[in-house]
Amino acid sequence: MSNDARTPILKVQHLSVSYGHVNALKDVSLEVFPGEIVVLIGANGAGKTTLLESVLGVNPLRSGSVVFEGREISGLPADRNVRAGICLVPEGRGVFASMTVLDNLLLGAHHNMRNVQSSLLRIFEWFPILAGRKKQVARTLSGGERQMLAIGRALMSAPRMILVDEPSIGLAPIVVNDIFSILKRLNREGYTILLSEQNANKALKCAHRGYVLETGTVALSGTAERLLSDPGVREAYLGA
Amino acid sequence: MQGFVAQVINGLSLGSIYVLLVTGFNLLLLVAMIIHFSYPQVVVFSMYITWIVLQLTGNNLVLGIAAGIASSIALNLLSAPLFQKVMMKRGEVDINSTMVLSMGIGMIITDVLSHTFNKGLPIAFPDQLAGNTPLLRVGLISVLTGQIWSLAVGIVAVSAVFLILYKTRPGRAFRAIAEDPNGARLVGIPLLRTGLASYALSGILGGIIAVLLAMVLGSASPGLGEQVAHKVLAVSIIAGLGNLAGGLVVGLILGILEAIVQGYISGTWSDAIAFVIMLVVILVKPRGLFGSKV
Amino acid sequence: MPLPLYYYLSITAVNILMSWALYLPYRVAHLHFITIANMAISGYAAGYLVMSLHVPFGWALATGFILGGLIGYVVSRFIGDAPTFAVVIVGFTFIFITRTVIQNLPAVGGTMGMFGLPNIGGNPESHRVIILAILYAMVVVVGWLIHRFDHSRLGRAASAVFVDPDLAASLGINRKKLGMLVQTASCTIAGGSGVLYGFIYKSFHLDFFTFALVGIFMTVIFVGGYATLWGTVVIAPILYGVPLLLPSEIQEWRVVIYGALLILVLVLKPEGFITPRFVRSIETFLSGKRRKRNISLKEVT
Repeated sequence: MSNDARTPILKVQHLSVSYGHVNALKDVSLEVFPGEIVVLIGANGAGKTTLLESVLGVNPLRSGSVVFEGREISGLPADRNVRAGICLVPEGRGVFASMTVLDNLLLGAHHNMRNVQSSLLRIFEWFPILAGRKKQVARTLSGGERQMLAIGRALMSAPRMILVDEPSIGLAPIVVNDIFSILKRLNREGYTILLSEQNANKALKCAHRGYVLETGTVALSGTAERLLSDPGVREAYLGA
Repeated sequence: MQGFVAQVINGLSLGSIYVLLVTGFNLLLLVAMIIHFSYPQVVVFSMYITWIVLQLTGNNLVLGIAAGIASSIALNLLSAPLFQKVMMKRGEVDINSTMVLSMGIGMIITDVLSHTFNKGLPIAFPDQLAGNTPLLRVGLISVLTGQIWSLAVGIVAVSAVFLILYKTRPGRAFRAIAEDPNGARLVGIPLLRTGLASYALSGILGGIIAVLLAMVLGSASPGLGEQVAHKVLAVSIIAGLGNLAGGLVVGLILGILEAIVQGYISGTWSDAIAFVIMLVVILVKPRGLFGSKV
Repeated sequence: MPLPLYYYLSITAVNILMSWALYLPYRVAHLHFITIANMAISGYAAGYLVMSLHVPFGWALATGFILGGLIGYVVSRFIGDAPTFAVVIVGFTFIFITRTVIQNLPAVGGTMGMFGLPNIGGNPESHRVIILAILYAMVVVVGWLIHRFDHSRLGRAASAVFVDPDLAASLGINRKKLGMLVQTASCTIAGGSGVLYGFIYKSFHLDFFTFALVGIFMTVIFVGGYATLWGTVVIAPILYGVPLLLPSEIQEWRVVIYGALLILVLVLKPEGFITPRFVRSIETFLSGKRRKRNISLKEVT
């Protein structure tokens, strides 16, 4: 299927980001089209988290541009971009452990409190487990429940695009399957998803396209099937 | 026994002022991420502003109180950009510079007060404000109006702060930043704006404290700021830096202890209690009795 | 020697010494305000020894140093590796408790203080000369010791701890031992300075040892530059001397001006005026001149 006729919802061009003297990202370009699930695979330290956080607006860009829904958002602060429709489910840090499930969800709607009640109802429909633990402090949730809470919290800001950083980290395989089916369900509902994963196998199986990051640059890109069958990718990331 | 009860009431009213001060200090620590040593000096400066306005308006209480609260908010907000500038070092928060900056601010305030208002002599608040009239009499104890006010307003103010923190949108943002500033940023909470809001809230608290101090003490002097500042630091260290609930408990207990000791031992020794306890705590349990939150 | 010059030179020396006493612990990010309490404790002790027990000044001065060092050492066993905040609080607490105790001790004059300490050397002239000699000898010795520290392995370790304590610990630097060393040294210096401070005026009074002193010494260090010892040497005489030349109405506002300077420096030039880079450029300039001189001599011969 040709994507040339559609405009990407997210277009990253020649992005370079550095921490002090360390070049975390060098000339990275990628596109995400509306309705897609796109995966970033790569080893630890390849720059996946840096890329997602830079798109969100947390890191200053050394050079390059980020365009979301046709508008240039490079250099804009994170809270502006959250309000504009992007949100991030951070790795391992999506929830505030000392606050209740409800408070965590309400934080997600920080910028848009008008439809809070209906948003909450929807989240509780999606994640009935969370509904039962509304008043519980997030610290008492299991790993999988916390990940669900993090995703739910991101959904509360009514985003059009969700960035997910390593959703499977620290979770049991069964739980990982649950999380990925949630992501697929979200995608069917219309959310565009850009996620980073070390577990390339599961991620590529539910994605449309993928990019392989190595030491801050894009080494390879293509459809999910192409990447799954690529011998280099298989050897490095799929444990084949 | 009756004397003891009087001292306890005295102590509770003093203690609620300590609690308010430590809460304002902790808010700035947790949300604005600064150590504001001279927060109490800003409060005392507001007391002086109240005094001036009272003098100029013929003891118009409403104007005086409003002026005190306004000046506290103004001073806090004005110092915010200075703190922001000083605390950013290569992307990380340099909290030590905020300490030094606040000491500089304290130096200036204390010295200005020593040289300008009333030529540095202590100021006295008019009877309408200073609650020196006894409201209740139980046997030989009289409870002064000032003490009742301070206790009542203290309870209301502390409850209001906790309500704001736990039931409102800005309060949620405060708590998120207090727990994890980076995580809060990733969730899309505007750190700068929210930090400023905490300066404003501490400013409002500061103004209320200024009025209460005027009621309870009936007077102020340039050195009052330093005295109170050291007590507040003591409370916050003993309870644990940033620990709001702990500050509540320790503030009240310290107030009561000081009042009791003052009744039996003379003079400045009562102040020394706070310091001795603090010294022991900091040497033995540096994170405070209830654990520090930073 | 005219009296104003005596006071200026002696007080400047004390300012330099006390600012160095604060400079040293700040190399590991500790604002060691307990030194003010050391001044008071050693000072009053020495005053009492000389006045009431007729101990010779030399022994009293030595006692001042030792007392300072002992207190510094014992306290450093607890706060050698404490966070800056804790060190500051301990310092404030000691200042407060010291002042309270002295206030209530009739033996050292309580709130009135001690007056009429005897002249060292028998008459006022020799007293002043001896005091100045001791003070400036101390400045040279302490300055040399700190210079050696800064350019040694320990000084480099201290810089590492200042920038990143965790990284320093992982490099094998023993934060506690280093902290204990600088704290003890700083308190020793402070003890001796306190004794001399009082003997400059031949009296001891609580007004000499107030919290305001903290602000003054901090201004000297931060305006001068907290990364080298030269900042103190240059700034202390200026900061103390310039207000003396101004009309008395402005002099009253000395502390406000110091506070404003401190804030300005923190916001605009956080490293202070005399930075390590500046010192290095002066050093290269001086050695360059020397080289040029040597070259021209060679050309002649």
